[in-house]
Amino acid sequence: MTIVNAKPRKRMREGSFGLYTGFSMIFALILGGAIIPWLSKYDPNSPGGTPIAAPSGAHWFGTDLLGRDVFTRVFDAVFIDLGTAIIGVSIPLVVGTIVGTLLGISRNKRVNSVVGSIIDGINAFPFLIFVIAMIAFIGPGIPSIILALSLVNWARYARVARTRAVVVNQQGYVEAARILGFSKVRILFKHIIPNVSSETRAYALSDFIIVIIAVAALSFLGMGTPPPQAEWGAMIHDGTQILALAWWPTIFPGLALCWAGVAIAFVAEGMQRRLRETNTK
Amino acid sequence: MAEVSGPSAIVEVDTTDRNRAALRRMFYGRFLRSLSVGFWVMVIAFLMIRLSPGDPVRIALGSEATEASVAEMRHKLGLDQSVFSQFFHYFVNIFKGDLGYSYFSNRTVTSVVTTHLPVTLQIIALSIFLGILLAIPIALFIAQSKNQLTTYLFRAFTSVSLALPGFFLAVVGLYAFGIKLHWAPAAGYEPGFPGNLKYIWLPALVNCGSLVPVLSRVLHSSLMDTLDEEFVETGVIRGVKKIRFYWSYLLRPSLAPTVVLLSYMIGVMIGGTVIMETIFSLPGIGRELITAVDSRDYPVVQGIVMVFGLIVVFFSFIGDLLGYLLDRRVTLS
Repeated sequence: MTIVNAKPRKRMREGSFGLYTGFSMIFALILGGAIIPWLSKYDPNSPGGTPIAAPSGAHWFGTDLLGRDVFTRVFDAVFIDLGTAIIGVSIPLVVGTIVGTLLGISRNKRVNSVVGSIIDGINAFPFLIFVIAMIAFIGPGIPSIILALSLVNWARYARVARTRAVVVNQQGYVEAARILGFSKVRILFKHIIPNVSSETRAYALSDFIIVIIAVAALSFLGMGTPPPQAEWGAMIHDGTQILALAWWPTIFPGLALCWAGVAIAFVAEGMQRRLRETNTK
Repeated sequence: MAEVSGPSAIVEVDTTDRNRAALRRMFYGRFLRSLSVGFWVMVIAFLMIRLSPGDPVRIALGSEATEASVAEMRHKLGLDQSVFSQFFHYFVNIFKGDLGYSYFSNRTVTSVVTTHLPVTLQIIALSIFLGILLAIPIALFIAQSKNQLTTYLFRAFTSVSLALPGFFLAVVGLYAFGIKLHWAPAAGYEPGFPGNLKYIWLPALVNCGSLVPVLSRVLHSSLMDTLDEEFVETGVIRGVKKIRFYWSYLLRPSLAPTVVLLSYMIGVMIGGTVIMETIFSLPGIGRELITAVDSRDYPVVQGIVMVFGLIVVFFSFIGDLLGYLLDRRVTLS
């Protein structure tokens, strides 16, 4: 993609558009989440005011069944939704990368085949179904969602990491480090894991979209945050109960969720282009 | 030469034996692998129930249960035996078609699955049918268009639509088509194939929101590869008839990755359909799953999850197989 400008300027790097757009969208969301509940004259979670009032100057996004301001609630939910998704991606990313790397470089065939089978077994289950089932057994709530996501998702990262680690382990620089007599731990953490994790981190970014939608979907199904805490999925669920009367309590939290998803998609796309550019250089 | 034959037919003639041996090897390899993954699916489903912090028997009997009745229930469910003998019974019973009993209703898990699974499978089948119907023309159109901007917009559009939450699209669909336009019933269901289309077309269409971008993108990129092949040029020069050209020269050599992907998408479809069923109140197995999760009916959850796991294993086996059969070039290498 070339940017045509009147005066000659440095050509934009590959993927910059996606990265800038995505990061500004996320930044706007976080900024809104930080200041709007604080500035707003309405309390996000306690009932009051006119129920089901249409969007107006006083309530930009209208009010819900309990008379709460939807605008304040949408932004009050930002940290719950983003935070759960970030933790829900980071734990399996770290665990999966380490387990997968160890499997990829280990020569123990029995451990490899047993753990490999467990990984394949976990990955065989439909993602959302498995998380729902886990929550059935460990109980609802945000910590449970994070635990369930971690128990399920590490296997996907481990699969990516294992394939990559087998390749990295045979590279010249790892061989060189071995000949230089560096300790195994040092080689693992300084040479192998950084190269494996570039792959799993790229996967984490596309996984982040799936996870943030899954977190909202689980709350939508009543397995996430208990009321009255504002959360996009739970707000959409409450909204659908009165969908025939009012569209705004459902549509605005949904749009916020779409905004977050699209923002991450932009970052992922930009990152991918950037990586491809660096690799082909 | 009276009849112009397609690319795959030419390849077939001199390498039939080699192909057949490779195909057989591939078949057995995949089959064994699927069996082992299937076994681990059962093990994980069996162990899952042990994650629960509480005693499942007490949850099933309620808080007022006496010690004697708890012990009796334990014995009835075989929970007083060792883990290995429990697993052995569980494993043997699966092959007898016995998945245990629901804690709260007097149904067997097998009967829950057999009554409600067909509805879910019909929704998924319709989603896939619609998905293929939409994805093929889109991918063909984009692949043959020489305009760079079209391709760019197509890629941007598919990435964005993949980032949209399916359950929210379902709610928007329910609002637009169910409440405003009255094109789809907001609730209710009528069993039987042609009659239920009225109720399942909208959930299936929403499922396509995630299916079509993935399918058309993969099909598009394999079509681009196929278009570079020499046999496509040969086909154009020979003036092969339109339909034959599209199928034998373009689609058939390109479909393999899409079919394999489609079989992997079954898992995603199942997840999406479970939520669709709750939103559109359809009597599928997903709604049973959510009800069972809410009431902590562990055997039902365990049974449904295991069945879904086995379905995914089965379809990825079929998908791999179809992928090989569609593109004979794969077996030659």
